[in-house]
Amino acid sequence: MNNIEFIYPELFLIISLLILLILGVYKSNSYNFIKKITTICFLLCIPIVYLNNIGDFNIFNNSYSVDSLSNYLKILILLSTVFSLMFTNDYIKIQKLDKFEYPILILSAVIGMFLMVSSNDLIGLYLGIELQSLSLYVLASIDRGSEKSTEAGVKYFVLGALSSGLFLYGCSLLYGFSGSTNYYEISEVFKQDTSIPILFGIIFIIIGLAFKISAVPFHMWSPDVYQGSPTSVTSFFALAPKIAGLGAIIRILYICFGEIYEEWKSIIIFISVASMLLGAFAAIGQTNLKRLMAYSSISHIGYVLAALTVGNRDGVISAISYLNIYIIMMISSFACILFFKRKNVYFENIYDLSGLSKNHPLISFCFATTLFSLAGIPPLAGFFAKFYVFKSVVEANMIYLAIIGLIASVISAFYYLRIVKIMYFDPENEKFDEGSNIGIRFSILFSSIIIIFYFLNPSSILYYVEMATKFLN
Amino acid sequence: MLAHSIVFYFFSLITIFSSIMVISSKNTIHAVFFLILDFVSISCLFIMLGAEFLGMITLIVYVGAVAVLFLFVVMMININFSELKSGFLNYLPFGSLIGLVILLELFIMVGAWKYKDNFLTTGEIVINKEITNTQSIGNVIYTDYIHYFQISGIILLVAMIGAILLTFQKRDFLKRQNIIQQVSRERSDSVSVVKVETYKGIKIDD
Repeated sequence: MNNIEFIYPELFLIISLLILLILGVYKSNSYNFIKKITTICFLLCIPIVYLNNIGDFNIFNNSYSVDSLSNYLKILILLSTVFSLMFTNDYIKIQKLDKFEYPILILSAVIGMFLMVSSNDLIGLYLGIELQSLSLYVLASIDRGSEKSTEAGVKYFVLGALSSGLFLYGCSLLYGFSGSTNYYEISEVFKQDTSIPILFGIIFIIIGLAFKISAVPFHMWSPDVYQGSPTSVTSFFALAPKIAGLGAIIRILYICFGEIYEEWKSIIIFISVASMLLGAFAAIGQTNLKRLMAYSSISHIGYVLAALTVGNRDGVISAISYLNIYIIMMISSFACILFFKRKNVYFENIYDLSGLSKNHPLISFCFATTLFSLAGIPPLAGFFAKFYVFKSVVEANMIYLAIIGLIASVISAFYYLRIVKIMYFDPENEKFDEGSNIGIRFSILFSSIIIIFYFLNPSSILYYVEMATKFLN
Repeated sequence: MLAHSIVFYFFSLITIFSSIMVISSKNTIHAVFFLILDFVSISCLFIMLGAEFLGMITLIVYVGAVAVLFLFVVMMININFSELKSGFLNYLPFGSLIGLVILLELFIMVGAWKYKDNFLTTGEIVINKEITNTQSIGNVIYTDYIHYFQISGIILLVAMIGAILLTFQKRDFLKRQNIIQQVSRERSDSVSVVKVETYKGIKIDD
């Protein structure tokens, strides 16, 4: 009974999942109703997680941690999911994806993410990953009429299953050599023993997790899946799963592999450098906005991983702050992408935006600030995110990483600025529909305000993140 | 001991042979049958290890359900698998390279394991002979691993939702049974008595 008290958020979500499923089956055309209740459930879950934050606990035989870090990430997951449900409402109706299973699958994916960020055991992590990915596979192919959506779903499923296999292989090696699947017990073993087979296990586990957050060289699926899936699903992919994947990576690297920092440092450095550079170079040729966002998110993941290579609490703080600002920028950019529709047809090509500033000055201003922020131009929020990362990297005497990051961000500035140029200096195009729903407007407004006025109090996010990572030393 | 190893190698050889046949046989039905043979011999290996519960579960779940389902799918969907396999030779060099690398990795692994002094071998693990396999799994599955057990249930539920969502669709041209409509049907709704005039005929609207 003692343990149950600490998993109220998870229990709340699971019970609401079951009740909503029954409601959805019995009520016909219940998409609207179920979606509203799901959003309310997510919003209600935030105070439950917050009230649950009374200390750092390890429950179920140390296999599940409820601590400040996991609670922080859970609140972030819930907020980003609420936003992605809010601004995709129009899109889902116009594209006729309004099946009641849609919000329910998102709910189950969120439960999986909760397990990922707080599990302290390889079995629990695997189950969390599977619960999340299974829901995401189905969501990617939810638009069954479209060939691209089906392709995206199949591609994601096959490659995701492959990565799960690699992850499990690594887990089995680690279990075979340490005799336990618990992070604490494995890290005890690492104190005496760092033989080659254990390193193999670590590499396979890192590969499996890098796959889930689409870091180079395991990123192949992400541009196709981002482009093929319905935009509402793509926006969800770019937000919550990244938080969950990084939460799992932080926990496994810092708690389970904390003793062998020197061993995994070079792997993470390689992944992060490759992600930053590939994300910057590969996006240059892209003209599809969703594909561009996929490469952009790959490169941003590279920066987060660069912060994690530092190997101390400082690195975790800057990584999570970066993630935080990344989430806000992604909310803004996907809300803008979902605004671009004429007569119920959505436009995804960057040349469709030509002359946007003349017809929609406010939207194009918000989109341009978001793009500037993604490129890391001061004084917008994206600059501070990169600043935190570079600061902690330089403090750890890894200046080369900061230099590579700077070069990558200068290169990526090209394609962000190209969109700005198309919006502001190219010939005018037809007007986009004005009557976008309140969710899109609110999301754009909210995230743009944060992006623009972040410089007034740049330590605000840092403060909360520091509170959240207090137990990490 | 000799008999034990003979039986072990017998079953292992069948397992390896049949799993190679699964991916190489031209006829898909044969491939599924080899898959069944593979599962059966794996369950025999489990029983030899003393894990009779796992062996039986493998039989019931994999042979009884999964493989039979495969068979149904293969029989119902008419896919020309030989066409799909035509690229096999093109991928062979690269695939075997990767297979070789993984094999080398396994050798390193086994080598490191063999030359490790403080490593437990399976013979040294203390097994309580009093309780059976099933009992010992049951002892932990609802106590220490209760949350994993419940989460697995949710995963299966999500898989079910996904399968239904992706395959079920309402087609307008399909006629569905509506019991309320059937029961509440009146005579006047469907039968009308018309007087037909001679040489005029009658127009029936359907």
